[in-house]
Amino acid sequence: MSRYDLVTPQGTKDLLFEQCSVRRAVQQKMTKKFSDRGFHEVITPGIEFFDVFDTSSRYLPQEIMYKLVDNKGRLLVMRPDNTTPIARLAATRLKNEPMPLRLYYHQNVYRVSPSLKGRSDETIQMGVELIGSGSAKADLEIIGMAASCLREFSPDYRIEIGHSGFFKILSESLPADRRTKRDIQKAIESKNYAALNDLLDSLEASEASAALKQLPRLFGGEEVFPAAAALFHDDRAREILDSLEKLYHNLKALGLGENIMLDLGLANSHDYYTGVIFTGYLQGIGEPVLSGGRYDNLLIEFGADLPAIGFGLDVDSVSKFLMEKDPSGRSRPADMLVHANEGYCIQALGYLSRKIAENNVCEYSCFDSVEDAKSYCKEKGIRELHIVDETTTIMGL
Amino acid sequence: MKPLRLALTKGRLEKDTVGLFEKMGFDCTNLHEKGRKLILSIPETNMEIVLAKAADVITYVEHGVCDIGVVGKDTIMENSSSFYEVLDLGFGRCRFALAGKKGADFYEGYALKTIATKYPNVARSYFKHKGMDIDIVKIEGSVELAPLLGLADAIVDIVETGTTLKENGLEVFETIADISARMIVNIASLKLRKQEIEGLIAKIEQVQKSGSEQSNA
Repeated sequence: MSRYDLVTPQGTKDLLFEQCSVRRAVQQKMTKKFSDRGFHEVITPGIEFFDVFDTSSRYLPQEIMYKLVDNKGRLLVMRPDNTTPIARLAATRLKNEPMPLRLYYHQNVYRVSPSLKGRSDETIQMGVELIGSGSAKADLEIIGMAASCLREFSPDYRIEIGHSGFFKILSESLPADRRTKRDIQKAIESKNYAALNDLLDSLEASEASAALKQLPRLFGGEEVFPAAAALFHDDRAREILDSLEKLYHNLKALGLGENIMLDLGLANSHDYYTGVIFTGYLQGIGEPVLSGGRYDNLLIEFGADLPAIGFGLDVDSVSKFLMEKDPSGRSRPADMLVHANEGYCIQALGYLSRKIAENNVCEYSCFDSVEDAKSYCKEKGIRELHIVDETTTIMGL
Repeated sequence: MKPLRLALTKGRLEKDTVGLFEKMGFDCTNLHEKGRKLILSIPETNMEIVLAKAADVITYVEHGVCDIGVVGKDTIMENSSSFYEVLDLGFGRCRFALAGKKGADFYEGYALKTIATKYPNVARSYFKHKGMDIDIVKIEGSVELAPLLGLADAIVDIVETGTTLKENGLEVFETIADISARMIVNIASLKLRKQEIEGLIAKIEQVQKSGSEQSNA
């Protein structure tokens, strides 16, 4: 029988020293950002009933969830997502609070990822949810916050905005079954121009199919708006385009400048988003580090008809980015080692407290002899050895 | 500025891609005289070429260590992951097919069918769409052997000319999908380096267009 007592499960890892401090720094920065804006932290359980995540507005494939069974035989999952449990919590325990609610979280999520792909099954996310307001002001606030979060880590970031409505409206009139529509959505999502053209060419040509063909190409800067306006003939699509243009200009006015981009082809088939959607990138990281959007149909599944918008930041990716940017951030050795000579333990601990009060990092020596303490200092790179006796001797090393 | 990194699938697709690059006016000397080097530069461009096995091209692009990849649709279908598939390069054409012993009726009877293949995911999703339950046996070498030896009822494999099938008394039952080389792009790269990448795509499209006009003339 083989025992697995020396390794961690696939997709998980131990974090040591500097990895912890970098992650902690990210968390502190974000916590300050969120709480300065009047957001309050909530913590949801690490395990929940499977049914919470089995909603019709959000599709999470069941094979990506870690499952357990409770003592009554009911199916539980390890939290695969943060927004859904927070929607459950807001719709049940907070539904009578004055709206909007400003909530933030800082929690692990667990997802089974394909083996040997270099992905983590356990990741940590921080994010905000603004629940109870469907206004354009809420959209602007949250996307502005997302941008200012990324700016904390690098000036070279991008926030890309889109809207889930374009695909929905344009595909409504297509003479195609659900499966074909899903294939079309997938082709748009993956900017697979060849497959998209094939799919749409097999249908009767219409204004909608011409617009859908171009949808994945509608990304970039301001030039996207006139290009889209020429393609969209549906009034609702035009209305969304106008609101997105307003949002875009407001974000520019906030000083986001070149960092704000558009992608009208953001059409994530697996997401619960009902309005504006956005994604954040940092130069040098090959995948989005932040994602969010408006989800006005999720809370109703838990009994409260409340609009909401939010985003989540992938703390692990950002930490990795910061580590690569500044690999010098190794954890520093203590400033001094305090060694007690025989019979002076209590005095030495008092001395140590005083030194800490003077802003030093102090280690307490567990060795019997000064020689051992000295060689430990050398190995660890501790510069001073303080030997406490009747008087204190300081040895520089 | 960091070079734009392209991962090419070693072998035939690599040769075809180099041919395409030459038509585009790139200096491909380094690619011809590569020796054992795995990362090669194209002079006077901000591009770097990485040579890799097909499935690795996808891995490198998905993780963003390469911005762009050239890989066959067969590999993409077998290894579903997230990236943008922006261009059909038109070369490396072949197809996925369901094949078996000549004259046999694959759908006959109620017994569960066994499929031998190097592409289990492609085979599984094809029969899933048909709503048909099958057994899959993964074979690493010549898949054609499996129905001949009686291990499988049929195979799912890449067919180019069909000569191997014919010589072994097999035939294509159905075409599953057409295959050709695709250009894939990392999701973040397309957004962060839009101009460079779109410039490259436009250039390739231009060469493709002039090529097809010539062949039409």
